[in-house]
Amino acid sequence: MKPGLFAPLLLAIALAPPLAHAQATAPSPAAQATAVDPAAIQALKDMGTYLQGLSRFRVSTDLTGERVLADGQKLQHAASAVIDVARPNKLRARMSSARSVRELIYDGRHATLYTPAQKAYSTVEFTGSLAELVARLEQRYGIEVPLADLFLWGTPAAPADGIESAMNAGQDFIGDDLCDQYAFRQGKLDWQIWIKAGGKPLPRKLVITNRADEARPQSSSLIEWNLKPGFQDAIFTFVPSKGSKSVELRALDGK
Amino acid sequence: MNRSFTRLVAIPLAVLAFSSLAMAPLAEAGNRGHGGGGQRAAVKAGGGGGGGRQIDNSRRDARSNDVRNTSVNNVSSRNRNTNVNVNKNVNVDVDRRGCCGGWDDDYHPIATAAAVTATVAVTSAVVGSIVRSVPPNCVPVNYGGIIYQQCGSTWYQPQGGQYVVINPPY
Repeated sequence: MKPGLFAPLLLAIALAPPLAHAQATAPSPAAQATAVDPAAIQALKDMGTYLQGLSRFRVSTDLTGERVLADGQKLQHAASAVIDVARPNKLRARMSSARSVRELIYDGRHATLYTPAQKAYSTVEFTGSLAELVARLEQRYGIEVPLADLFLWGTPAAPADGIESAMNAGQDFIGDDLCDQYAFRQGKLDWQIWIKAGGKPLPRKLVITNRADEARPQSSSLIEWNLKPGFQDAIFTFVPSKGSKSVELRALDGK
Repeated sequence: MNRSFTRLVAIPLAVLAFSSLAMAPLAEAGNRGHGGGGQRAAVKAGGGGGGGRQIDNSRRDARSNDVRNTSVNNVSSRNRNTNVNVNKNVNVDVDRRGCCGGWDDDYHPIATAAAVTATVAVTSAVVGSIVRSVPPNCVPVNYGGIIYQQCGSTWYQPQGGQYVVINPPY
């Protein structure tokens, strides 16, 4: 073979594989602008699987929410919650805001709502997973569990097919934790999540923007984790304190 | 510290509970940022029962209650309805909850000027008025996670250590 022919051939062989690879993996910018990045969806799924695999934990949140007044002016408010969980079916949540302090206690057989200030509690019988409890409380009683998504991600109750846009938004620090930031759009909600990078994909921050109103009220939840909590199972059993009274829990109309 | 919630009602006992928290192992200490939240919550619990700090909204502008929409707190809810005007029917139905109230929902879409104009029967208290205690014949009802007091045709909602007269929540 003549050297003059051999050199271009080598060059072609050397260049061909990377070129083909680049064409296969880099979508055009136009397609990326509205597309669902499968890696972002996969990160959500991995986080959901990890969350469902946690057997005992304490999670707490400080939430900042907004309400929109008639003229579009926004007011912020704050709330906090501490949730103790023992899977598959035990939960105790303490919710605090300027309005009230409330507790939700679930032992796998009874769900109790307790309002310490009024020494009043309501107990309903229920058996089911934490995901089912969260759904039941919201749908039948209009009661939202703090960080409800934590109990739904990784289950069929949180399908990813409603997500119209998903992207990796880079990395950020939440507290001391290096996190991957992802941004999603679904329906009238834009939302962002910061997932701890590395081996424990815990959500550390959740921001939800409500696009149903032009003022776009937004909630922001910082999330702290304790995966080695010191609580005993006894905390999941509600024992009425002396002088407290039972109150009917009324279902939403038509439920 | 949540082992017995009755501790948290009594402030001296709550202090005991906190000191035991301080001796908790390192894993607990790692959660310090949130431990602060827990302490705040405990004080509020005592305050809500009377004797501690209490919210005082007496100087609050009525406009702050005229809420047309709110933020939402979770993305997975199957009954998501983000297009609800929570205060749309302010004159007739000022405190309708359930569809869209979050767990952080601390505003009081009641007691507004508009609400005070609601039709009131002679025997009923004026909607929006505030009382320190409710009549003895009242029956408490938990609706949407809030414990209301129903006294015949009059409904009360707790607000701080007091009660405000509202239109029926359902």
